[in-house]
Parts: sequence; structure tokens; C-alpha cells
Amino acid sequence: MEKKKRILIGKIGLDGHDNGMRIVAKWLADAGFEVIYLGLYNTPEGMVKAVLQENADFIGCSFLGGEHLFYCRKLLDLLRKNGLEDKKLIIGGVIPPDDVKVLRDIGVSAIFTPGTMRDAIIYKVKELFKA
Amino acid sequence: MKDPDKIQYDRYLKGERLPHFRTLSGIEMKEFYDRGDSPQDPPDPGVFPFTRGVYRDMYRGRLWTRRQQSGFGTPEESNRLIHFLLSKGMTGLNIDYDIPTKLGLDPDHPLAEGDVGLVGTSMATLEDTETLFKGIPLDKVSTTLIVNPPYSAIHMAMYLLTANRQGVDVSSLIGTMMNCAITQLVGPTYQSGTHFFPVDPAIKIACDLMEYCLQHIPRWNIININSRNIRETGVSAVQEVAFVFSLALEYVRSMLARGIEIDRFAPRIAFFASVHIDFLEEIAKLRAMRRIWARLMKETFGAKNPKSCMCRIAVQTSSLPLTAQQPLNNIVRAAIQTLATVFGGSQSVHTTSYDEGYALPTDEAQVLAIRTQQIIAYETGVCRTADPLGGSYVIEKLTDELEERLLSLMEIIEKKGGFLECFKSQWIENEINGARYEYARQLEAGEQIQIGVNMERDEDEEVKINIFRQASDMQEKRIRSIQEYKKSRNGDKVRRALENLTRQVKENQKKNILPVLIETVEQKVTSGEMSDALREAYDFKVHYV
Repeated sequence: MEKKKRILIGKIGLDGHDNGMRIVAKWLADAGFEVIYLGLYNTPEGMVKAVLQENADFIGCSFLGGEHLFYCRKLLDLLRKNGLEDKKLIIGGVIPPDDVKVLRDIGVSAIFTPGTMRDAIIYKVKELFKA
Repeated sequence: MKDPDKIQYDRYLKGERLPHFRTLSGIEMKEFYDRGDSPQDPPDPGVFPFTRGVYRDMYRGRLWTRRQQSGFGTPEESNRLIHFLLSKGMTGLNIDYDIPTKLGLDPDHPLAEGDVGLVGTSMATLEDTETLFKGIPLDKVSTTLIVNPPYSAIHMAMYLLTANRQGVDVSSLIGTMMNCAITQLVGPTYQSGTHFFPVDPAIKIACDLMEYCLQHIPRWNIININSRNIRETGVSAVQEVAFVFSLALEYVRSMLARGIEIDRFAPRIAFFASVHIDFLEEIAKLRAMRRIWARLMKETFGAKNPKSCMCRIAVQTSSLPLTAQQPLNNIVRAAIQTLATVFGGSQSVHTTSYDEGYALPTDEAQVLAIRTQQIIAYETGVCRTADPLGGSYVIEKLTDELEERLLSLMEIIEKKGGFLECFKSQWIENEINGARYEYARQLEAGEQIQIGVNMERDEDEEVKINIFRQASDMQEKRIRSIQEYKKSRNGDKVRRALENLTRQVKENQKKNILPVLIETVEQKVTSGEMSDALREAYDFKVHYV
């Protein structure tokens, strides 16, 4: 049997809006992923540490207040510095259209904005692991 | 353009109909309602239990306050914004402080740097408060300050000193300190309510602030008990109100335990509710809230002053029905939600902006929200008479049904030991998560329709919308200015003031904290430093990796 892919899910920074993240975490778990739920108030350093400890395959973060660029840059930098560039980063939340492009350019693997349906998310996430 | 093969020509022949006839809270509606559903006419508006409104003349006497929540970036920027909004027809202030401030962290705290000033104003010092309210006559404009305890007490101390320095007599201040524990950040989710400060001391300090305001600011609303943020987690209208009233009971009992009589403080309590898109249910909800609160105050707590029994409700229309897809649709939704709010008899309204799914509102979107309220107030005619829907069979019946469901959920919470107990045991957390999953399931299954999302979705939509952008160096500048502020002070004085604060709180946990906070603020101590001193006094540490 194929080993379940492990995903770390958490919010970085101080915003506490966890509605979307909770729901997506449940959807991914129901779809057969191993979800490690880190909840709120993580730092980029803490996320990287958790990736190593948990041997996660990818990371899911959620943003709402406009802090996405700041933290995604920091997190991707840290992943590279730790030789973890193969760990894919997926993002969900309130992201302006222009920033979706920026996030893709800096190396975020998938970006899900509000109103994305469950099947679209699961399909995309499964695709990321086909290649 | 739609693929012609996909146009559903059979909609007409089949008869287009709704997926079901349940309200958002799950009340199955009847084919029609008649006198049998509502055999008795409710008492007049302004008469106990105030189902039809807290005032006899309602909006004939005065319109609701147009109170758009605002604030971002530095105090200077927010000061410009509130002057702009007042010039455009806003009639009350509603100042949102940023997340680090609401968590008691200064901008230069290592956890704060990415969030400084993003979704509220970054506020750390007395000077910041003076800057924010520069040119605003605090005895003429009613101001809501969105800060939760214990930080509400710190920022109230700063607000009082600002009034002093403006030459305004503190006793003439009008407004509201949110001051509601647990719910403020994102509703009563466990982690957000416990990670930065312990729950019981936060409630204690909320009560200190209430007691202090009763003594010194007679027209001040001492707390705005927050059900809006409870609703925004995704719970139903029934859960929203049952949770918030159960929390309100905790405050009422704490105040009574201090020997303060119910009629002394209950008239200064206000509520902050959400209004979702379910038009009839939301109107009925606000009516049921007033009736339940009035009876609780009179029958359970023996209130004699009619004002103690008046449930005054501020509303921010819910963000949950607003979509990132086809954002102009949100203008229509927010207008309908605002109309429901007005039919529900609210005292102040924030109409949520249509660009909410993307960022903070642009100036244009904020003005549109104000105009939405003005069109309802001045053009539609719905304000010419109090409670125009009162006596409608369906509205009265839904009010009764919601009341019944609310009371039975409140009873369950009481039996489990009250709201705080249910919060600490994470029962509330589980209820919230259950409701979220269910709401998401309904959207996925198409049971709850959202136009643009699960119906009439345009997969190739390219959204064209103006997006609010902050100055790219705002955070960096703000952090630097606080660092410089800290360097420029008399360090010994600051240290002594902080030690004194910790010691006084530790040594006499029953004493009201406001006087010592005011003394401390005067020594140029920042809000984050005072928060740390309080944490130390309660042996609490903020954990982070």
C-alpha cells in the first residue's frame, strides 16, 4: 500500500482566522492525506522545525490579513536554507489577484482563494504529487 | 458567454425552485403562516420585553448610527481615514486596533512584525492615542474602541488621558469599549482565547474596567458583548445568540458578585451582533434577542429600571455570505443584510464592504457602504414607522421559534457549568467546528446556494477590482518608530513603573487595576510592556517556537 502523504497545516503570524484552514484540513484528511494540524500562531522557523520533526511532504498555510507575501517569502527562504526545497507549499485564504501571481513566482505550488470547492482542492493537491 | 448547449431551457418548464425550505439555522418553514401561528400581538415598541424595538419611536426619533469599522497602518494614517469617513457621512467612530495590539504585543515584538497595522491601527503608546484622535472632539463623537480585555483596560487608560490632554472632561465622553473577553479575535476559538493571556484574569480586568467606567463616565457603554465574531466562525443564528447570552451571564454574575446592583450596570451593557443573509431569520433573531434579554434582566436578576432590560444591538453585516467570485454581487448582498438589520431594529450599523473577499476596503468601497445605509434610511421609507414588520405572522412565529431554540441551548450550556466552563473544556470549540463542517458541506452539496460559487459560477472569471494597498514600508517604519520611542524614554522610570504594576496586581488581586494602569501609562510605558507586566503578575508566559 502506498504511504499516505503527510501535510502540515497551520497559520503563521498572529491572525487567528482558522475557519478555512479547519475545513480544508478535514477535507484533506477525509481524502486520505495524513494531516498534522499545527493551529495558530506559528513562526516560519517553527514550521520548518515541524517539517523536519514530522517528516512532512508538504505544508499548507492560510492567510487573511495581507501578511501572505511577508511570511511566504520567509518560509520559502528557510526551507531552501535547510535543504527542504522539495517540500511543496500550498496557500489558502484572502489573496488579491496580483499577489497570486507573485506567490507563484516565488515558488508557492498552489494557491486557493475563497470559494474554491473541495474537489478542486483535492484534485490539485493530488496532482502535485503525480509529477 | 455561456456555451449555448449548457443553457438550461428546461428551467422554465420544470419550474425553478429552491433546494429546500429550511432557514440557515435549520428551521423548516411552512407553506404559509397565518393568525394561528401568531395568535397574540406583541406589545408596542418601547414596551417590555422590547420585541418590537427598544424605543417607541425607533428611527423616527433618531436613525441608527452609521459606524463603519475603520483603522489600518499607523495612527497618523488612521486619523486621516476617520476624518475622511466623517466627512463622507459616517456618524460614529468604530476604531479597530491591529492584531498585535489586540494580543498585547508591541510592534517590535518578534511575533508581530508581519501583522503590524494590517487589519487595524497599530497602537502602543499614549502618544499614539493622541495622534489617532487628533482633531476629533471626544465629547461630541461617539467612539467605539475595538479592544478586548485585558488590553481594553490599558487602552482605556490611554483614551482617558488623551481626553484629559484635549481638555475634555472625562465624564462627558460618549462611546463604547468593546471589552469582551475570548470572542474578540476570531470568536471563541480556544487557542485564540488562551494563547496570550489567561481567561479568568481577562474577565476580572474586563469587570474592573466596567466598574471604573460606571464610576467616572456615566454615558459610556462599559462592554459590547460580541456575538458577531461568534457568528463569523460559521455557527448558526441560534448558536450565535445562545453562546453570547451565556457569556453575558458570566459578566452579569461577576459584576453582581462585586456587590454592584443590576440596575447600576445593566443599562450600560450593549451587544454587537452579526446579520447573515437569511433575511427573515435574521430579523427574527434580533427581535428574539431583545425579548430574551429583557426577561432575563427582569425575571432572573430582578432589574427594575426599564433601561436595564433594553438589549441595544450594534450590527456588522456578516462577511460569510460575501464571495470573492463576482464581487459586485456583494453590494447587493450587503444592502439586503443592512435592510434586515434595520427591520431588526439595530442601534448602529457597519455595512460590510463588497471587496471584503480581497483585502481591507478601499475608500470607494467604504463610502459605498455608507451610501447603502443612507439610501435605506432616506429613500426607501422603511424608517417612517417603528418595526414595520411587527405583527407579520411569519416574523412573529420565527421570533418565537428562535426564542425557544435559544433558550434550550442556553439551558444546555448552563447545565454544563456555564459558558466559561464550556469554553475551557473545549465544548464550544467542538460545537464551532461541527457547525463549520456542516456549513461547508451544505455549500458543497448545493443545499445552501451562493451565487457565483456553487451556482452561476464562471470558471474563467477574471476579477477586476480595485484593491486597497498599504504603503510597502508601513510596517518597517512603524516598528522603527516604536524602537526609537523606547530609546528616548527615561528607562529607570519605565522600569520602576512596570515593577510597580506587576507588584500591585500580584499583591492585591481584588483591587481595581485602572488607577495603577493610568499611573503607568503616564510614565510612557507601552501597551505591550504593560501586558507583559500583567502576564508576569499572573505567572503566564506566551509560548512560541
